[in-house]
Amino acid sequence: MNRRQKLLLTGLTALLLITAQARPAEAQTRVSIGVTETMETYNPYGDSVSLLYGIWCQVMGCLGTYDFDKGDYVGMLAERWEVKDPNTWIFYLRKDIRWHDGSPFTADDVVHSFNRARNDPQSKQTQNIAPIASAAAVDKYTVRFTTKQPTAPLLEYLFDRLIITNKAVYEKYGAEADRKYPTGAGPYKFKELVPGQRFVIAKNPDYPGMKQLTQAPDEIIYRVMREDEQRVTALLNGEIQIAQFIPPHLRKRVESDPNTKATTVDSVEIMFLAMQPKPPFDKKEVRQAVCHAIDRDRIIATLLQGLAARLDGPIGPGQYGYDPNLKPKYDYSPDKARKLLAQAGYPNGVDVEIQTPVGRYTLDKQLNEAIAQMLNGAGFRAKLLTPEWATLWSNVQAGKTPFYYMGRGSIVDPSVALSQYFETGGSPRIGYSNPKFDKLLATERQTFEPAKRRKVLAEAMSLLTDDAPACFLWRHKMIYGMAKNIDYKPTPSGRIFGEDIRVLK
Amino acid sequence: MFGTLPVLLLITLLVFVLLHAAPGDPATMLLGQENTAADLAEAKRRWGLDQPVHVQYVKFVLSAATADLGRSFRFAAPVKEVIAERLPATIELAAFSILIAVVFAIPLGVAAGARPNSWVDNIGTSFGLFGISMPNFWLGIMLILLLAGNFHLVPSGGRSTYGIAGPSQTGFYFLDSVMQRNWAALKDAFLHVLMPALALGVNMIGILMRVTRSSVLETATEEYVVTARAKGLTERIVLWRHILSNALIPIITVVGLELGTLLSGSIIVETVFAWPGVGSLLITGVTSRDYPLVTGLVLMYTVAFVTINLIIDALYAFIDPRIRY
Repeated sequence: MNRRQKLLLTGLTALLLITAQARPAEAQTRVSIGVTETMETYNPYGDSVSLLYGIWCQVMGCLGTYDFDKGDYVGMLAERWEVKDPNTWIFYLRKDIRWHDGSPFTADDVVHSFNRARNDPQSKQTQNIAPIASAAAVDKYTVRFTTKQPTAPLLEYLFDRLIITNKAVYEKYGAEADRKYPTGAGPYKFKELVPGQRFVIAKNPDYPGMKQLTQAPDEIIYRVMREDEQRVTALLNGEIQIAQFIPPHLRKRVESDPNTKATTVDSVEIMFLAMQPKPPFDKKEVRQAVCHAIDRDRIIATLLQGLAARLDGPIGPGQYGYDPNLKPKYDYSPDKARKLLAQAGYPNGVDVEIQTPVGRYTLDKQLNEAIAQMLNGAGFRAKLLTPEWATLWSNVQAGKTPFYYMGRGSIVDPSVALSQYFETGGSPRIGYSNPKFDKLLATERQTFEPAKRRKVLAEAMSLLTDDAPACFLWRHKMIYGMAKNIDYKPTPSGRIFGEDIRVLK
Repeated sequence: MFGTLPVLLLITLLVFVLLHAAPGDPATMLLGQENTAADLAEAKRRWGLDQPVHVQYVKFVLSAATADLGRSFRFAAPVKEVIAERLPATIELAAFSILIAVVFAIPLGVAAGARPNSWVDNIGTSFGLFGISMPNFWLGIMLILLLAGNFHLVPSGGRSTYGIAGPSQTGFYFLDSVMQRNWAALKDAFLHVLMPALALGVNMIGILMRVTRSSVLETATEEYVVTARAKGLTERIVLWRHILSNALIPIITVVGLELGTLLSGSIIVETVFAWPGVGSLLITGVTSRDYPLVTGLVLMYTVAFVTINLIIDALYAFIDPRIRY
């Protein structure tokens, strides 16, 4: 071996040693998830998107969540709860929970969190506590929420939405606390957040029950990957183990790879065509004609390749208050549509402009091109408009869009969404008003007995379907891609909890 | 330098007016679907959006004068901090793209210019055309499919693999890994930057190569080149010392202009590759109507353009001693 070779060998060995040293101790199991939402802020109240509610809920903590398998709400930091009187809710907290710094979790933290969600200058979550007038600690482990008026669906507002944060840490460090001392009480601990890139959390073995979940990943990395191709490629490469929201046309690539699989879940987002009651949609017959004109089954079978479930009312199976006996009301019938139009005084057809976002929902533009054609085949003269999302969304919220395709997500209990879109004064988005419907909703909110409440809800939704201020279309089935060694059933809400993931050997 | 102040003022005014004229506001975009009218009004009050636009603008200019760009609505943090956090990523990406472009384009351009209509010229020109006409988002997706998907050479996106690099000290991952002597992190940073840099760089190769070619062609007809040849200098010395050094001015100008374009071009490429730089930040800012953030970013882009132009002007004097300011 000459001098040069020796030098080279020494150099290489040194490099190898350095490299070996630089590598940190590997976690036992690590699951990377390619997600489409971007995470940008350390402030748990600074965003209002589904994925982040789920992450903060695991890291900081939340009172409870909805168990889609059980079809009911389950407690997390709250052990149980009761409605003392129509305006008073009592939550009994678990006594075996500790913050990640070892201090006990108490009712004061919950009250502090309520105040922060309401008063933090950067909070985007005031809507989650809107029905609540005040919160108070009854004792160390009991919290009382007083609502402004009877609100039977209160859990829909609070569960996995009101993020619980540490009072003592916030009082000590102020706004700096989120970034420098993220101290949670949840089943996972905050490890790293690189804005726009990734959020890393690690299992908290001290959280009750976590030690038993031996197959739950020790570390989870949520990686921002907005580009579909990138998520799929990363999954096939083994860079990530779970990929959110695979578009239908890439499903085959995932399924044909020997190391990956695809699974679907019915989204809780309902897709509908909203019609403001202004001419020509001020006539019920015109709105009903729209519903008869659209062949939802054909669109689902062809364009959506079966990856959607038809809606015959505002909600579908698995959502609270769904009535399985609801008969499909609007069959596809261009003849009925034409007749209804003639009855409404438009025997020669009518001009309508339908607006849709582009790229926000699965195949939104393509679906609406088909919808516009079907409308044209049933006596309408439909024109499709595709404004930029920010423009469309703000116009919709200001009540300036008469006829549009839209989704409303996060619907477990439909009460809040129904009120927002269809109750008089709920919001200007549709501007619909029907005293009979308003009365049913008001009754439903004051009915705390589940069976009775479901009945009133079903009645309200049946009325809505008949009056058709919106034509309910479908719920998309979301495709998740995952590695073969991952056992995970995605939730319809889009939250991804580490406890639900199992890493198989 | 003071001449740029009116430019900056005008640009912020323009951005402010355009952003406010566009439908939508931060409250409607950020509060989530469940918001009520009361939530919207309350958020607008908290963020000062209930005040008239001109009042908001004057407030912005006054605080910008003290180097305070306000707080981002989306990020819940000072705009300055948010930009400072993302800027190193974009600079690193731009530096690599320009490196790739210069390394490929200049030799190719010189060779093509030295022998016009030869096979080198033909191949170079075709490659240049390919580079210019390729939309970089499409090229980006093709690169992901090919380099990451088929050949497994590089990761499909992002800026680093979790767990390899230590905490960043400078924001520049290359610098960090060298400072920490973490060679695995250096390699990781290199593998991550390669694809986005290529997607950005290929476009520039085309332009730069064509400019180099025509500049070399033009300079080759100068009398001093004929003199140099007549002196009996070798063709290599004539080409590299006499032709190229005199052909550099337009090349440097284009590199400077392109550097500016790189900053804006990276808006799309950063989104395709999930690269956490100021480009993807701008997209987030615009879609959420984050007025302070977008205005701050545009201000930063403007300052960057002006600074680059200033540096290029200074470089002229360095390259060509005849130019004096």
